[in-house]
Amino acid sequence: MSFKSAVITFPGSNCDRDALCYLKDLTKGEVHNIWHEETSLPKVDLVILPGGFSFGDYLRSGAMASKSKIIDEVVKHANDNRYLLGICNGFQILTEIGLLEGALIRNKKLKFLGKNCFIKKKFKNNFNFSIKDNQILQIPVAHNEGNFYCDTETLNLLKNNEQIAFEYCKGEFSNNEENINGSIEAIAGITNKKKNVLGMMPHPERAYSDFHQSQDGRLIIESLIS
Amino acid sequence: MNEELILQHGLTLDEFQVIRKYLNRDLSIEELGIFSAMWNEHCCYKTSKKWLKKLPTDNEIVIQGPGENAGVIDLQDNDGIAFKIESHNHPSYIEPFNGSATGVGGILRDIFTMGARPIATLDSIRFGLIETEKTKYLLNGVVHGIGHYGNCIGIPNIGGECEFESTYDFNNLVNAMAVGHVQKDKIFYSKPKTIGGLIVYIGSKTGKDGIHGASMASDVFSEEDEDEKRPSVQVGDPFMEKLLMEGCLELMSSGLIESMQDMGAAGITSSSVEMASKGNVGVYINLDKVPLRQPLSAYEILLSESQERMLAVIDKKNDHKVREVLQKWQIDYEVIGEITDTKRVVFESNNKKVVNLPVEIIVDDAPEYDREFYIPRKRKNKHFDFSKIKLEDMINNLLTNLNYLDKSWVFDQYDSTVMGDTIREPGQSSGIVKIHGTQKVIGASTDCNALYIRINPYEGMKHTVAESYRNLIACNLNPLAITNNLNFASPLDPNIMGELVLSINGLKTAAIKFNTPIVSGNVSLYNQTNEIPIKPTPVIGMVGSNMNLNKINTNKFCEIGNKILILGKQLTKNCSPYLLQDQKIALNICEFNDLEVLDLDFEKKIANCVLELSDLKCIMSCNDISRGGIFSSLLKMQYRDMGFNVKVSDPIDLFCEYSAGYVIEIRSKDLEEVTSFLTKKGVEYIEIGEIIKEGIEINSKKFDYFDIMNKYRNNFEKIIS
Repeated sequence: MSFKSAVITFPGSNCDRDALCYLKDLTKGEVHNIWHEETSLPKVDLVILPGGFSFGDYLRSGAMASKSKIIDEVVKHANDNRYLLGICNGFQILTEIGLLEGALIRNKKLKFLGKNCFIKKKFKNNFNFSIKDNQILQIPVAHNEGNFYCDTETLNLLKNNEQIAFEYCKGEFSNNEENINGSIEAIAGITNKKKNVLGMMPHPERAYSDFHQSQDGRLIIESLIS
Repeated sequence: MNEELILQHGLTLDEFQVIRKYLNRDLSIEELGIFSAMWNEHCCYKTSKKWLKKLPTDNEIVIQGPGENAGVIDLQDNDGIAFKIESHNHPSYIEPFNGSATGVGGILRDIFTMGARPIATLDSIRFGLIETEKTKYLLNGVVHGIGHYGNCIGIPNIGGECEFESTYDFNNLVNAMAVGHVQKDKIFYSKPKTIGGLIVYIGSKTGKDGIHGASMASDVFSEEDEDEKRPSVQVGDPFMEKLLMEGCLELMSSGLIESMQDMGAAGITSSSVEMASKGNVGVYINLDKVPLRQPLSAYEILLSESQERMLAVIDKKNDHKVREVLQKWQIDYEVIGEITDTKRVVFESNNKKVVNLPVEIIVDDAPEYDREFYIPRKRKNKHFDFSKIKLEDMINNLLTNLNYLDKSWVFDQYDSTVMGDTIREPGQSSGIVKIHGTQKVIGASTDCNALYIRINPYEGMKHTVAESYRNLIACNLNPLAITNNLNFASPLDPNIMGELVLSINGLKTAAIKFNTPIVSGNVSLYNQTNEIPIKPTPVIGMVGSNMNLNKINTNKFCEIGNKILILGKQLTKNCSPYLLQDQKIALNICEFNDLEVLDLDFEKKIANCVLELSDLKCIMSCNDISRGGIFSSLLKMQYRDMGFNVKVSDPIDLFCEYSAGYVIEIRSKDLEEVTSFLTKKGVEYIEIGEIIKEGIEINSKKFDYFDIMNKYRNNFEKIIS
């Protein structure tokens, strides 16, 4: 059975092409690109909400995209127990829809952050299945609002339900920080309770090809396919 | 017409008389506005044209040279590369965030107007000393603005330069460069083809922002001007630009439009006049049809520089289809006029022809000046005393000088990996991206050695071009072509004019020797505030390519134990301007010795060796040697806690500048092959040491690696905070 997937494009998405290439190159299956005004979604195994500045990120990051026509279908897809991955702006959209807990606020230094970061997996799920415990992944981030925040009660729930998928960590060498954007408990990615929806700030679609600085981003798709 | 009004419009009385005589009638206020916009330096190059004409602009790979929105070169198969650099100096001083953001927006529009998808941006930004009151504000605003615009639209920023010098205290410089990829058979030009073609307006509504921006950019500043001129700064909306870019690229790829022109400096006036001039046709535009944000007079519409707007020509039959595409992208679209055969520019407002001028008088009869210029005096030969200088102090001087420190604080605010094709990120000798879907890569570097050019404009400019060239060579890229951004003070001063003339000559000499023609560019004059002129700062952006991405060299150390070799010729310590300046040995510009003559043949010879050795896979990493000498190059090459152990006869040599200078990392097992290759070529080299773990050692003296690296990495942020 070949793995089918789709990427949603909103006005202002700018990582949609990158996500499409990522899926085409790694899944070798059918990949659809869906415009935000569509009202139906093909039956696929994985949907990606890509990074970018949907609707200019005016109002609040991801807020306007969460009201797009296609979102009803995206929610149905998730309720159907199929995979949904929000990367960067996609993560922000997922919290705005309410499929994921918490919110993404301004980075602690109040500046855009575009650099390589290091993450490792926290709790096991189908998205990080192929990643070893304590394996350090190098993946770029590029965001203004990537500082994950939630109240203590939610945080406890996220921990108890093992919903924290990735956390920022220190790399192998001297020149990097542990928690680059100030996220609560250095959270870099979380899932929903059923663990079929993942939101993450780092961009795995920028770290998979031979010429990229790292190929660690492959592991997410490999986890889903295996 | 009264004199004051004419002078307010930036025209001289002589210039006005030329127009008056030609037309043999009085001008309307709108027409005066048009001449104000079209006859300033920014649009008609009246001072520089005579000299720019001398530059080499063509060779076998040039598809489009200067004169279009951007230059285009051939990258084999059906791939073309469009690129250009442009300044936004004055707006960025008045309002740093919006000034720099719209600088990025403008240069991106120049690229996609050619039918090219932007694939990278770079920038060259210069500020005054950090101790100067306004510098921190300007630095923060400019970096934020560049980042905000580029990040949002989603074009990777792959590099550039950021320097600090007192000469820019009251006149910072912001030059933005963009590179795009275009299918050679789908390049769009601004020349309209069909009489009767519809002129259509695409993009944001027109507002009051930026009225008279182009003439402001051609003016001398005083500090009181700042508040008064702020309304002349445009406000950018990168989200709108993203939609506009996608909409325009879709229209172009589906063949729905004939030609396109960006409404940049001098807005609808400049774009429509240029359209008419290029096509040798006339234009008729009804200003009542222009989408407006607020009520505006005809005069204001003509001179508004509202951002994210395009003017295009389409066939009548495509009107409906164009409208449909743009509706999908939620972009304003309006038919506002048509191409005529009158060779006149006609603007109508309220059923009245407010402008009715022959294209000829606006464009062909634009003034061109041959301004007086002086050649700098010969410099005396001076010997400096280096006896008191200690190695520790020299290192410390670099680690407390913003110009030498790791500038991640700047680059980290830019998205450098969006689009997924980035191979080398900012902060290295060149930024490199892959041409999507191919194995080809394109790299670019922006450079200017203002100090060198002040000392000797002709030789200094040769050194500047050579530095860009080396930046590309170090990565194993073949240098291809140049875009330039000539930032100077007032050309009415014959000394400044001399710097302009001589540096253009230097650019010409180097460009011919390297076979890197100048295919696009921009001139920014009158960069002076309170009568303090900036140092001559002709920035160049050079692009280069490699057809095989696997052959690219890294600039970072690869492996402990590998040998470090130096190629090139050291400038003597008495003739290393940055050494003298930054080690505080020469304090006054008059004290410097003349620059050493740069031997361009030698540059090429060493460059060819580096390219050959790279292709033989003998070079593990390579960096050029520039400001700060070998030491600074080695510092930039550190990676994964690898340092270096070197031995030299005189430690000062480590800080001297070079011609054709490269640091190369070689595996021990390749050492014999490399050295015999170099010997056979008659090229001298020095083996100065090797790569070690977590250490820096100079002539057996051990330095604290982590202390130096911490300062190198973190002092920038400390100093500017």
